[in-house]
Amino acid sequence: MYSALELQNPAYSEPLWSGLDAIGIGLFMLDSEGNLVRLNTTAAKIFGVDPNTDTGVKHISSIDAVMSLGLQEKLQSILGGTEKYCRHGISCTNTSGMYKELDICCAASEGFNGNAAVIGIVRDVKDAVPQPAVSANLFEELQILSTVAASLSSSWELEQILEVILTGATASQGLGFNRAFLFFYNPAENCLNGHLAVGPASAEEAGYIWQDLEAKNLSLDELLDIPKRDASIQSSSINSLIKGLSISLDGDSLISTACKRGVWINLETVEDIDSVTAALLDRLGVRKMALVPMISKGNLIGLLAADSKITGRPISNESVQLLQILANQAAVAMERARLYEEQISRASQLEEMNRLLGESQDHIIKIEKMSIIGELTAAIAHELRNPLAVIGGFANMMLKSQITDEQREYLNIISSETTRSESVLSQVLDFHEASKSDRRHLDFSELIVKNLQLVRGRLRPRDTHIGISLSPQTMKIYGNFDQLSHAFYQFFKLVVEDLIPPGSAEVRSEQRDDHAVMIIKIDATGQDRDRVVKAMQRIFSDNKASQRLTVLVAGETIRYHGGNFGIWCDENTMPSLFVELPLLKESQDG
Amino acid sequence: MADRILVIDDEDSLRVLYASELRREGYEVVVAADADQALALFSKGQFALAVVDIELPGMDGLELIGKLKRSRPATPLVINSAYGTYKADFKSWLADGYVIKSSDLEPLKAKIKELLTKSDKEE
Repeated sequence: MYSALELQNPAYSEPLWSGLDAIGIGLFMLDSEGNLVRLNTTAAKIFGVDPNTDTGVKHISSIDAVMSLGLQEKLQSILGGTEKYCRHGISCTNTSGMYKELDICCAASEGFNGNAAVIGIVRDVKDAVPQPAVSANLFEELQILSTVAASLSSSWELEQILEVILTGATASQGLGFNRAFLFFYNPAENCLNGHLAVGPASAEEAGYIWQDLEAKNLSLDELLDIPKRDASIQSSSINSLIKGLSISLDGDSLISTACKRGVWINLETVEDIDSVTAALLDRLGVRKMALVPMISKGNLIGLLAADSKITGRPISNESVQLLQILANQAAVAMERARLYEEQISRASQLEEMNRLLGESQDHIIKIEKMSIIGELTAAIAHELRNPLAVIGGFANMMLKSQITDEQREYLNIISSETTRSESVLSQVLDFHEASKSDRRHLDFSELIVKNLQLVRGRLRPRDTHIGISLSPQTMKIYGNFDQLSHAFYQFFKLVVEDLIPPGSAEVRSEQRDDHAVMIIKIDATGQDRDRVVKAMQRIFSDNKASQRLTVLVAGETIRYHGGNFGIWCDENTMPSLFVELPLLKESQDG
Repeated sequence: MADRILVIDDEDSLRVLYASELRREGYEVVVAADADQALALFSKGQFALAVVDIELPGMDGLELIGKLKRSRPATPLVINSAYGTYKADFKSWLADGYVIKSSDLEPLKAKIKELLTKSDKEE
């Protein structure tokens, strides 16, 4: 039984393993620890091991100890891709005592379950079937596939994977096509959309790029190492050939057939070319091309097309088959990249949800604390009402009796102070009552206008004026209208009673980022600026212990709603009081 | 003859204050410290009106109002409480007036006067 990964990755293809036996090539795979995890019959014979009992048990060191291959020593550098292991004509005796003369080559690959592994081919020069040309090609092709597979296994970014595929297809050290084009399948419109292309745009460009690459003497490994690679390999002009191109898969065109049936087509061998395929060839300026579908888990992902426009070299079926293997690998890598991106996206969503949960928890804790403090405050306020009623009540009663002027003065003080204390208690109790009501959507401007109206009655005798300039934008916030009204009223009252008389102030509102902001700019004409600044600093001090109860309650209300308040002040201008509240979020909408 | 008012409050000082102030207004005032005392006094004598605190030891003012109303439905009852929240309690609706306790006794005196005038007219 093989997994989907095993079936799509050529390194796991069963026919490949057994097929190599027919031409006397041994194929083996080591895991990252150096354990022999798989080998074909030829490799078993060469090493002198039993493929049935030694697979998964035998360690390369036990073979190395007898055959002196030096593989154990090079294992980590092969896995890391820093060194290639290729040795020819090793004369040795295998673990069964048989004399061998070996060619051996190993490269990093992706092993079972996606772990790093080493794949190697080995042949006994004496025993090998005399097909030097075929085996040399196969050896080369295996190296290409192994290198591309290793590069794909280390890439998680889709665009990087796509570049590896196209580079692998076009590099002379790779499959050797001149240009490669990648189309993505669009299931909504049943068509292919041009996505990315690699290769020279013209013979001239091909000339100097290939010359340059030859001078650099890059291996396929180095060429596929996208971040280190010279950007000149890519050409933006070739990309423009397919960008925006859409090829319909309706009908029975050759392109459509390749995609629907999941089969490669070598247009080199096809004489009757339909109009859709011909249109693509015209656009790309070629008559022959390889078309290879990219399929993952039975679903069409896209199409890989490659040509030899510059060299004019005929496209062989073998090279198209190899391109198909590359496309299959690519499809797996792309699926893996998609899953990776999905995971990243989910992780990001999870992180955001955790953050929101944390915020909610903090908010709940704050609400609970506020609730407990509110209950406690209300209980104290009620308890204070009775003694205050007694003190003030008797003072008022005594004021009606025959008393001296001095006694009257003192009793008046007691009476007025009692009334003030009762007023504070009422505010506390009103706030506590208001805190029980629900939150809802509120218009920030409405809060300002309604509460400013309430304090306007206090303006006339104080020779003060308040102007208003509201933002034309509707700024929606979320909160408790009664609580916020209480807070706004207290701020206006402080400004009117303590800060501006005689003088004026301007109330304006504006949106700043995701907050609605109210700014009360004081213009206490003729007044000492420092006095106003000091008065504001005293009233809106950060030190809660020194704040008036009304400011403390109003400030807590604003903070409780996620907002803030304070003073803006510079050296030359009169200070401003600001109150800001967060704008309605989508999550609070509806 | 002066109208007779029953004042029920568990705070000694408040009882003294209310009694003194209402007597100044010309009423005859009888005071009770809890619901049991109030019910006993109410059953023995005639009262033109009763001023009832809600937070009382034992039976609370709201329950007391129910009993007083069943006993003498025509007698006006005024709730005089430090709490405004009982206004929302259905049982408080039996009372004819609701005044929040304050050092300013004018609202209480005005409510008493209003209810007694109304009561006189009905008789």
